[in-house]
Amino acid sequence: MDDRYLQLQWRMTLSGLAVTLIPLWLLGAAIYLYFASAVEQDQRSQLRALALNRSAAIQLFLDERVSTLEVLAHTASPDDLSAPGELRNVLDILNESQHSFVDLGIIDANGEHLAYEGPYSLEGRNYGGEPWFEETLERGVHISDVFLGFRGVPHFVIAIRREDRPEPWILRATIDSEVFIRLVRSGQVGLTGDAYIVNRAGLFQTPPRFGGSILEQAPFNTNIAPPGVNVVFRETPKSGRVMSAFAWVTSKDWLLVIDRDPAEPAVPLKQTLRIELIALIATSLLVGGAVIFHTRQLVTRLAAEDENRVKTEAQLAHSARLVSLGRMAAGVAHEINNPLAVIGELAGLMEDLIDPEFIKNTKHGELFSDNVRKIQHHVDRTREITHRLLGFARRMEPQHDNVSINEVAREALSFIESEAAFRQIELVQELDRDLPIIKSDQAQLQQVILNLLNNALDASAPEGRVTVTTTADPDNVTVEVSDNGSGIPDDLKDRIFDPFFTTKGPGEGSGLGLSICYTITKGLGGSLTFDSEVGEGTTFRVSLPRIQE
Amino acid sequence: MSIRLLVVDDEVDFLESIVMRIELRGFQTHGVTSGTAALEHLEANPDSVDIVLLDIKMPGMDGLEALRRIKTSFPEIEVIVVTGHGSQEYNRLGRELGAFDYLIKPIRLDTILERIEAAYRSRYPGSDD
Repeated sequence: MDDRYLQLQWRMTLSGLAVTLIPLWLLGAAIYLYFASAVEQDQRSQLRALALNRSAAIQLFLDERVSTLEVLAHTASPDDLSAPGELRNVLDILNESQHSFVDLGIIDANGEHLAYEGPYSLEGRNYGGEPWFEETLERGVHISDVFLGFRGVPHFVIAIRREDRPEPWILRATIDSEVFIRLVRSGQVGLTGDAYIVNRAGLFQTPPRFGGSILEQAPFNTNIAPPGVNVVFRETPKSGRVMSAFAWVTSKDWLLVIDRDPAEPAVPLKQTLRIELIALIATSLLVGGAVIFHTRQLVTRLAAEDENRVKTEAQLAHSARLVSLGRMAAGVAHEINNPLAVIGELAGLMEDLIDPEFIKNTKHGELFSDNVRKIQHHVDRTREITHRLLGFARRMEPQHDNVSINEVAREALSFIESEAAFRQIELVQELDRDLPIIKSDQAQLQQVILNLLNNALDASAPEGRVTVTTTADPDNVTVEVSDNGSGIPDDLKDRIFDPFFTTKGPGEGSGLGLSICYTITKGLGGSLTFDSEVGEGTTFRVSLPRIQE
Repeated sequence: MSIRLLVVDDEVDFLESIVMRIELRGFQTHGVTSGTAALEHLEANPDSVDIVLLDIKMPGMDGLEALRRIKTSFPEIEVIVVTGHGSQEYNRLGRELGAFDYLIKPIRLDTILERIEAAYRSRYPGSDD
């Protein structure tokens, strides 16, 4: 294939690949993104649910403890509770069911411990002025933020103030951090997840797993957490990008934060991506392969058809030329007939008017008489030529006679017998005795065979041989005329059947013979072929169908 | 037999020569150079012609038209077309229009005379010479 087709193939392949692969990959990307987004949505809702759930649990925890202490504060008097061992009892009872109290304390309005039960020696401490103390006096029920206090250990308290005595008194309980922290930590998910509480000011109320300790400043502003439960993406200095659920605890201005690494539960996502990539690549290879293959097929076919078309057009042009040539020839032949007829008639008249006396008495009388006859002879010859010319031009309707090819061959041979003898060329007949009769045009066939015989004679040298053979097979009857003469050179073989093509000198042959034979044979439904070797000879083969369609 | 002929051809040299030659052979012959003249002659001299030799390509009235008219008006006259125009189509047309034969020039006079005698015999069977 030449350049143009290669270019076309290249362009078509590229556009074919683009049209098939780009949408495929776009679709793949879209599906993946959609899937990733769905996974993220899923994570978000899970995280949200978790945060909701955990914050509710924390809420419940706090509410239960507050409630328990309130009941205690309302049902017992400070005197009762201050009785030796009483607070111990109460603490034990409380811890039996609620496992979260470190100590209990009765504190008077001045901040003095009236009674204390717990692991720390806080009996003598005074809480007057402490933030939690003031808050409790004011509010009545108070859950404190985490603080170090006198014990020097981070903790938070729940305090109830009662005013059933002349002086208010406070029941205070310290909540077990361990228990609370464990509760908070239950919101942790996965290897890199974290759950902790910060207060409004951003101070850790429980220790985060990474990036900080209790009572340190969290590296974000709690303003980013809207009221209620929300899930956001945020950048953290230590863990990079995290998905965080923020849940405000309602009874205390605390923010539960649950962080998780969005990439972490990405295993299914990564797997999906891998599978999708493999599928996309496999499909792309298949599709790409198909596109390339089919494009090449298409372009090859196109090139072949174009070539065919060019050839056909050339043939048509050639045929058209032949037709116009034929018409021209016919026109010329017709024109020639009239003056030729005049010549013939005038010569004929001259012959009629010559009498023996004239011949005797005129010098060159004999010559005169002979010449007049010769003029008529040559008029006859010319007539033959123009008739053959007209035969070429005419599209003849073949006759449907019963023809014996053998007869035709024998007759044709008889016409050239004397010529062959004169030139010392041997004539050989090899006629199949059982050659079937076919339906054809006897006259035209004879014309063809005669023409081939004449050519064979012309190609032969003295002592040469011309052979006529007839054979039959189930489909065709064939007559061959071969000579052992000069042969046809390879470069001339293509032009043998062209009209006016001749190897003879001017005046020796018109070059119409073979092209007429070709046309006649084709018109009779047969074929005219030849084999030739230079120096060995030529065989022309006329094949005619036995059964006419 | 004395066959009476009319030769129609616009080529004067041809016409004069053939008329003379035919007369030399003993046939009564008249020559005209157009189809119109032929019809005029036939109308003016009824029953004076047995066979017509008719050319096709002539100026004025076309030979085929002349043929048609002659065969229509004088059906007893046999017409032999003698023309330089040898196409299959004209051949067929000529015969359809009633020509006895269609001969292509150049042609030997003897052949023409053969066909004239055949035409005469077909018209008057039993007459021999």
